[in-house]
Amino acid sequence: MPEWQRSTLELIVEELRRPVKIDESFDRRVMVHVRRTYARRRRRGIAGVLGAASRITHHPAWAAALAAGIVAIAAMGVARSRQRPATAAGSHEPVQFVLVAPTARSVAVVGDFNDWGLNDSALIATNHEGVWSVTAPVPTGVHRYAYVVNGKDWVADPSAPRSAGDDFGMPSSVLVVEESTK
Amino acid sequence: MRIRLLRGLIALLLGTAALTTAGAQDPRIGTRLDAPTRAAILAIVDSARAQGIPVEPLLEKVYEGIGKGADGPRIIAAVRSLTNEMASAHKALGTVASTDEIKAAASAMHAGVPAVELGRMKQQSGLRRSLTLPFTVLADIVSRGVPVQAAANAIRSLVGAGARDADINTFQRNVKVDIEQGAPPAAAAETRAKGAAPSAGKPERDTPDTTR
Repeated sequence: MPEWQRSTLELIVEELRRPVKIDESFDRRVMVHVRRTYARRRRRGIAGVLGAASRITHHPAWAAALAAGIVAIAAMGVARSRQRPATAAGSHEPVQFVLVAPTARSVAVVGDFNDWGLNDSALIATNHEGVWSVTAPVPTGVHRYAYVVNGKDWVADPSAPRSAGDDFGMPSSVLVVEESTK
Repeated sequence: MRIRLLRGLIALLLGTAALTTAGAQDPRIGTRLDAPTRAAILAIVDSARAQGIPVEPLLEKVYEGIGKGADGPRIIAAVRSLTNEMASAHKALGTVASTDEIKAAASAMHAGVPAVELGRMKQQSGLRRSLTLPFTVLADIVSRGVPVQAAANAIRSLVGAGARDADINTFQRNVKVDIEQGAPPAAAAETRAKGAAPSAGKPERDTPDTTR
């Protein structure tokens, strides 16, 4: 390497080795930039959707549309709850179920008012010389039900109207419970 | 401040939507049915809900099928059939009908009563008279052999004469006994209907007849 090149190179190296003077606010500015970048990434996904709200704050029409959406969904919920039978309102009337079955070992009542005995919710009747009975509060409305004798035989109530719908090959009866006038 | 408020509104909207969707899926269905049956049932229920048909009776039919040990295809068929009957009943009775009336009308239709006949009865009875029990008894006596037209005429004449539910219950029991004793079903219904509204005009009883 010629001498003139070597001296030039040494000058460059010397310059590069010299500490760089940094503005005192440099660290703070770098950290601010890093935090902004990180925050932008976190906003993606649900947080990003929520964060995007800041862009529509200046459009009252958007806010009105959102409010209308909330009101519409709430109204749908109210309408649906009104469609449900009186169960939701908690209006019940006591009903006595009676079946004459002198030879039975057990009698239970199952119907749509106790989810057809699912989760062990069947009403267990007590025996009085072959007359089995149980009294239970039943929601006002129209119900289908049946007796289960000896844990396996499905029997319709002989004193009630028959159920005309598809009963899966096992007879059911219909019970209409009205709200008592007090 | 405005941003926080708007974010709160959006969160509320999303939460409400999530709750509404969750309500559409009954947990009892999820644990008792296999996946294909559950999917088919939920599709039928969602479709019914979209048509404005009350879905609680459909879910009750599912529980009935499960409780009676029916297999998946049988439950699906029963729910689909009930959905069709309730859709027809809903259309025939109009928006003034209650869920109970629609259920009872669907039962009558299953017994063979035409929807148009049920709609006519609803129109004639006025808005305040619930036809839940009359439709229930109509379905019962048709299933016991009373011809549809004779049964419909009997129930229509009872409701038209101001018969209360207690009278119609008595009518049903008498017709049942008559048939069991050998009377021709049509003759039993027509005869019992003639004198089955003795309490018309009398005050309502204090408590309903709820002894089965």
